[in-house]
Amino acid sequence: MTQLLAAREGRITPEMEEAARREGVDPEFIRAGVAAGTIVIPKNRLRKGVRTCAIGRGLRTKVNALIGTSSDRDDPEMEARKIEVAISAGADAIMDLSTGGDIDGMRFLSLERATVPVGSVPIYQAGIEAIEKRGGIVAMTPEDMFEAIEKQAAAGIDFMAIHCALNFEVVERLQKTGRVTDIVSRGGAFLTGWMLHNRKENPLYEEFDRVLDILREYDVTLSLGDAIRPGCIADSLDGSQIQGLLVAGELVARARERGVQVMVEGPGHVPIHHVETTMLLQKQLCHQAPYFVLGTLAIDVAPGYDHITAAIGGALAGASGADFICYVTPAEHLGLPTEEDVRVGVMAARIAAHAADIAKGVKGAWEWDLKMARARASLDRAAIAGLAIDPALVRCYLEKEKGELCSACGDECALRLVSEYFQQ
Amino acid sequence: MPTQMARALAGEITPEMKRVAGREGVDPEFVRRGVAAGTIVIPRNRRRKNIDPVGIGTGLAVKVSASVGLAGEGDTIEGEVAKVRAAVEAGSGAIMDLSVCGDIDGARRAVLAATTTPVGTLPVYQALAEAREKYGAAVKMKVDEVFEVIERQAADGVDFLALHCATTWQTLRAARKHRRIDYLVSHGGSHLMGWMIYNQQENPLYEHFDRLLEISRRYDVTLSLADGWRPGCLADSLDAAQMQELVVLGELVARARRRQVQVMVKGPGHVPLGHLKATVQLEKQLCHGAPYFVFGPVVTDIAPGYDHITAAIGGALSAWAGAEFLCYVTAAEHLGLPGVEQVREGVVAARIAAHAADVARESRAVQWDLEMSRARKALDWDRQIELALDPVRAGALRRERSRGSHQACAMCGKYCAMKVVGEYLGKEQGVC
Repeated sequence: MTQLLAAREGRITPEMEEAARREGVDPEFIRAGVAAGTIVIPKNRLRKGVRTCAIGRGLRTKVNALIGTSSDRDDPEMEARKIEVAISAGADAIMDLSTGGDIDGMRFLSLERATVPVGSVPIYQAGIEAIEKRGGIVAMTPEDMFEAIEKQAAAGIDFMAIHCALNFEVVERLQKTGRVTDIVSRGGAFLTGWMLHNRKENPLYEEFDRVLDILREYDVTLSLGDAIRPGCIADSLDGSQIQGLLVAGELVARARERGVQVMVEGPGHVPIHHVETTMLLQKQLCHQAPYFVLGTLAIDVAPGYDHITAAIGGALAGASGADFICYVTPAEHLGLPTEEDVRVGVMAARIAAHAADIAKGVKGAWEWDLKMARARASLDRAAIAGLAIDPALVRCYLEKEKGELCSACGDECALRLVSEYFQQ
Repeated sequence: MPTQMARALAGEITPEMKRVAGREGVDPEFVRRGVAAGTIVIPRNRRRKNIDPVGIGTGLAVKVSASVGLAGEGDTIEGEVAKVRAAVEAGSGAIMDLSVCGDIDGARRAVLAATTTPVGTLPVYQALAEAREKYGAAVKMKVDEVFEVIERQAADGVDFLALHCATTWQTLRAARKHRRIDYLVSHGGSHLMGWMIYNQQENPLYEHFDRLLEISRRYDVTLSLADGWRPGCLADSLDAAQMQELVVLGELVARARRRQVQVMVKGPGHVPLGHLKATVQLEKQLCHGAPYFVFGPVVTDIAPGYDHITAAIGGALSAWAGAEFLCYVTAAEHLGLPGVEQVREGVVAARIAAHAADVARESRAVQWDLEMSRARKALDWDRQIELALDPVRAGALRRERSRGSHQACAMCGKYCAMKVVGEYLGKEQGVC
């Protein structure tokens, strides 16, 4: 039985209880959210020892980090270290997006090392194995796709990005309206290529129930992949993106009917004046399903700093309703991130999420800043470091800056006079 | 000679207005009208020689300022000049020299010589330092000495002066009554308050505001009316002290304009995301549309070490809401003084915020992003690096993070989405 079905029956599962404890909310609030589909708890039935991470309305905005091998760099140990770096920096979940070397082996390693929910994109493995076995991504069979999903679910993956909301309506809209950067989603690109080459509808859309049956069996949370997410701000909120959202909305309703937990993935490159509308449309068209955004990136022109363009977009997106923020590292658009890029990416995303949580009124968010403000006002360095989002970094600075308070004016210090005035 | 504002009011389009218009791609008459109305300022001291004028205000691209200055024993003029160079190279539109100790005159003159951007200062710092030297305590500073330093800095060619003219007794009482959490935030503001308490006198910059206007007028120095009560934590945002000061600032803006002195207003600070729009709207309303020069703002208190990022978030949203001038915040903020690398990074973060806002205001700014996106689609790496906001860093990261990758990048390797789809949508395939 999935969390969703349990919630609908009125049962509060141990996972819901743990989530409630972590968030400082009533377990019944979590249950009601899961039942309504506004909250998901990604946790594969087979997975053990995972920190529960509930995602959705009324909860702290969560952060996801991406790792994985690629054809150009296949170093599983390095990817495993990135998982550890991401989690110690505060990531709430990770996704293994491996496309190089031993994909099964890497997934095993990810699941073993991660103490948080792990997500994957099974079409990557299906596509890459099709190249090896059948000579090309387009030669992949529908069976290959479903087998990859089943295999990864059986391995314990907690949530899967699956591009079910891509069909010919969307592809035709894309061809008609034209785009600057067409499709920038890798999974979306694989499937679009497959559909156009084979002149066949996307099997993940056409046989959506089959996808749902597998996910339901393992209680894998479906993360509806955003095949059509805008890859530049000029493509934001265009016809194809909205068409994709319409299809996603239908599939959200169907997933819920089958008792499968579902969230929706979102952009991407979004100018800041489009963010609120993007969030509103997703919530409206997708029946308030949790929204999992990549960034969003506020501009296109700052490669090397996309953790910052994403922090701007992510903060605003979170404040406007996004529930789950996928990090973006400084290496985005340029290459694969290093461990340090991963750390910085997680920090930037957490800052965005926290700024959003203050705006959303999430429990405890405002109080955290208030404690920091009081620590600063009383010049309590140990408290400042302890409260910082990255305590180790602050301690490192403070060790360097051992400077004493200025004593140039002695008893007639202007700042002391002000302090006395306020303490009267 | 009359100020830019006086000339604008007389219908004259000055060479500075022409230069600003050319840079921004707007009509010179638009700039003239903005300067006349006070919604645009062109900080340019009449005595400044080596300047390429910059316009700040409604309808123009959002600008960024970087602060440097001698702050402690280890600091040298050469070191600060190196920061100026790094900031300007990274695209800072203005520099502020906020030296508080050492050879302040020497530092200011070196900074003025090192850049063609407008240069701003905060003269009270020097007046306080000199009083400390002379009398053993900054609070013993004489009123005439403050104005002597202001005049000295103006005569050197400083283009804009930050002055806490509205930090009055009324605002102090408001802060005390309403129990502000953090009352020592603005360095200049706090010292002025200490001076007021010690001497039991009103803030001389408020009391003798006309004297200040006289100096500003003579040199055409733009006033940057600073906020001694900028919130230093989210909890103090939009509190009584801040609002009281903003009301007074609005009156001073009107008085400056009557004397045809160019004026902008400085703003926070620490502002929660949900207060940003209101903060900007209140300034615009109470200060009669004067350009708003905000410090960040940082949107959370809990991220020391990353305040260039918290400030990029606040800066983007404030500028979208109408702020026109962003003072950078470096990663060292709240922790220490920035090094050259942090200065550079701080400028880039602020420029990202400024551009995000320019794009949202649907200006011509979006063309840049469009060109970048076309280069991406074409997998044209040279062009992508060239178009990058920081080409040096983008180039370095491309080399380091995609070693051995040629056509695509190491993230997707052979399975680049652009490559895969290009084929099937019948578009021409990009090559490197």
